[in-house]
Amino acid sequence: MIQYTKKIILDPVQALGRYSQLLFKAFGAVPEFSTYRKNLWEQMIHVGIDSMPIVMLAAAFSGAVTTVQTSYQLVSPLIPKSIIGSIVVPSMVLELGAVVTGFILAGRVGARIAAELGTMRVTEQIDALEAMGLNSIGYLIVPRVIAGIVMFPVLYVAACFVGIGGGMLVGHLGGFVPMGVFVDGAREFFQPFDPIFGLIKCLVFGFIITSVSCFKGYYTRGGAEGVGKATTEAAVASCVLLLLADLILAATLL
Amino acid sequence: MKISNELKVGLTIIVAITIFIFGVRYFEDLPLFRTTYDLTAEFDNAGGLIPGNLVRVNGVSVGSVNGVSISEKTGKVEVKFHVDRKISVTEGSYATVSGIDALGAVRMDLFLGPRDAALIPEGGLVGTGEGNDLFGDLSARAPEMVQKFDDVLSGLDKVLSETGTMLSEPESDFRTTLGSVKGSVAQLERLLKEERARISIILQNVEDATGSIKTITSDNGPAVTKLVSDLSVTIASLDRELVSLGEASRSLNELLTKVNEGQGTLGMLVNDPSMYQKMDSTLNGINALLADFRVNPGKYLGQMKLVDIF
Amino acid sequence: MISVQNLHKSFRGKAVLNGVDLEILEGETLAIIGRSGSGKSVLMKHIIGLLQPDAGKITVDGIDINAISYADLRRIRQNFGVLFQGGALFDSMSSFDNVAFPLRTFTSMTEEEIEHVVLECLGMVELPEVGAKMPSELSGGMQKRVALARAVALKPRYILYDEPTSGLDPETSNTIDDLIQNLSDQLNVTSIVVTHDMHSVLNIADKAAFVHDGRMHWAGTIDELHRSDDQILRSFVKANEYLIGK
Repeated sequence: MIQYTKKIILDPVQALGRYSQLLFKAFGAVPEFSTYRKNLWEQMIHVGIDSMPIVMLAAAFSGAVTTVQTSYQLVSPLIPKSIIGSIVVPSMVLELGAVVTGFILAGRVGARIAAELGTMRVTEQIDALEAMGLNSIGYLIVPRVIAGIVMFPVLYVAACFVGIGGGMLVGHLGGFVPMGVFVDGAREFFQPFDPIFGLIKCLVFGFIITSVSCFKGYYTRGGAEGVGKATTEAAVASCVLLLLADLILAATLL
Repeated sequence: MKISNELKVGLTIIVAITIFIFGVRYFEDLPLFRTTYDLTAEFDNAGGLIPGNLVRVNGVSVGSVNGVSISEKTGKVEVKFHVDRKISVTEGSYATVSGIDALGAVRMDLFLGPRDAALIPEGGLVGTGEGNDLFGDLSARAPEMVQKFDDVLSGLDKVLSETGTMLSEPESDFRTTLGSVKGSVAQLERLLKEERARISIILQNVEDATGSIKTITSDNGPAVTKLVSDLSVTIASLDRELVSLGEASRSLNELLTKVNEGQGTLGMLVNDPSMYQKMDSTLNGINALLADFRVNPGKYLGQMKLVDIF
Repeated sequence: MISVQNLHKSFRGKAVLNGVDLEILEGETLAIIGRSGSGKSVLMKHIIGLLQPDAGKITVDGIDINAISYADLRRIRQNFGVLFQGGALFDSMSSFDNVAFPLRTFTSMTEEEIEHVVLECLGMVELPEVGAKMPSELSGGMQKRVALARAVALKPRYILYDEPTSGLDPETSNTIDDLIQNLSDQLNVTSIVVTHDMHSVLNIADKAAFVHDGRMHWAGTIDELHRSDDQILRSFVKANEYLIGK
């Protein structure tokens, strides 16, 4: 019973404490730009540009599928076809663009970061950095988190662009809704705050995925098995926290 | 040439920012490069207008609504919107809210003033006009109508109950009178049977009218306006008819009251031959009226002219 | 000069160090010996502040390293070179970049100067030609030698060796021992060697400190070690000599 309580309540709280402590140290290391300058560009390439193709692919398909499903569900002749555009564009901008990108990054970038840092931890490379007199958190974590915060919105814009384009194209070619009608419908209900909200979400998601994965990787213990465990936990925790943040943001900002 | 990481990242970020800005402007219906022109209009009722709704001039969309809010000073609805700069919104222009709120398809129509008049300055106020929301108007008037019908019906109810009391008197000579009424009713019934064909045509027309709801929802603004105003006229005259019907039943009511109370008993009424003769002649009049109606129905069905439109 | 006073450390309630005292003088080579799991590596990590003691005090050149800011601690750490057990080379970088890394990070040398120093260091560990290779392409012994080159690149005043010869064949072990010997002679550094390999202790160390049961059980010069009649120390040394003899 006591063990159970510890596992359910104490351990997560302790993990949260360690996580915020790590974040605190990382914030402290942000001003030491020279420590991580070179790493920052590398991480931006890894997080952002290398993820571009898979994010675009997933976004294009989710846009296309949303279009096809919306037109399938619209059976009433009284509802104009332009409603498809009014549904697909906000879906993409508000939710799918950010969440699809988020899941891909959680799997792709989150796991990569955790495996990288985890391996460095168990092979004492992090100790070696520290022993040289380097701020290992500043050197390893700060550039990854900044890269996540900066590049996630970039990926989001790409995802929305490709997703809406894909939806429009499939709607047009598949004979569900002509492009002009789609755009009219999208414009009819377009709220300028929607893409801003999407961007805010992306900043939060980018921060969550990279910081949680860094946390899991940085505190890896126990050899190759520990690295594997950290990698899985990083991907899972990123996804769960991402969904939670999604809900909280929607409830507070919309 | 090897592209450095810094350059790759920088380029990607710039491309993303560009797509974001142009994408938002595109869906906001703002011209991608041209600037726009902000204006305000004050309405008593925004009719479900929300930011993002289109602004049209002669059925062409030229901009969209930025924001809708209740003005603290005037209590009116303040609608901020923008239009393409190439549209000259001159003094004398006015805006209306139109479309069908229930379907969520609301828009703002802008009617431009004379081309040679002075331009309304940036952020200036545009006049407003009456909009036309067919369903909205009808549903707004419904309670009024129901109230009228209710009044009339309660009057009728009173009359009928009192008539019932009279009829319950056995051996009453009133029954003979009723006999004549029965005859008149039969005649009316026959008449209605003959008119059945006409009624079915009318119903057919109504059905056609429902079919053209789609036309109404599309761009036939003026036609809808006319239709609604015709409907209003009809409703007004129907109102008048109901008022006179109400008056008629009220006087009938008074009459019956007199019959009841003034002379004490129904027996006295029956013994008064002049009264009886008067009633008889009234019934004869009704008969004559019905005969006339049969010969010349158009005279009486004139009020249903609107229905003929359909 | 490094001094450790009354150091206590426990992990998850299990005491590993139980009041350790140690003093290392300028220019000498000290071997910290003891069984596996006796807390030698933990002691070493405390000396450069990678672990914080539960109780006790560690001073480097008279400065208490647990009472100063992280920035100051890092400045002190730049006086140290550390050779980790597995080498701990950065596997995302070539051998050359590994050795050049501290130079690029902490000095304002030009690339030409850095190249000169890196080749010098790689030459010192007798691997002048492996610069382009990635750590994964090197054998365990070579990795340790490149790591040693990285540890000395900044010309540190102190070098810590964590099990420098473990997992290596006797010949490579001898090479590493020779390197450690040469380094301390050439660069006049203070060396701390954590090991359980008595053979290399006898080869390189001026002094030895024997950690047993979380305490400093015995300390003295190599000559004194030979003459000591402490039972536990004798059996530890004997077990090792038996292995060497075999």
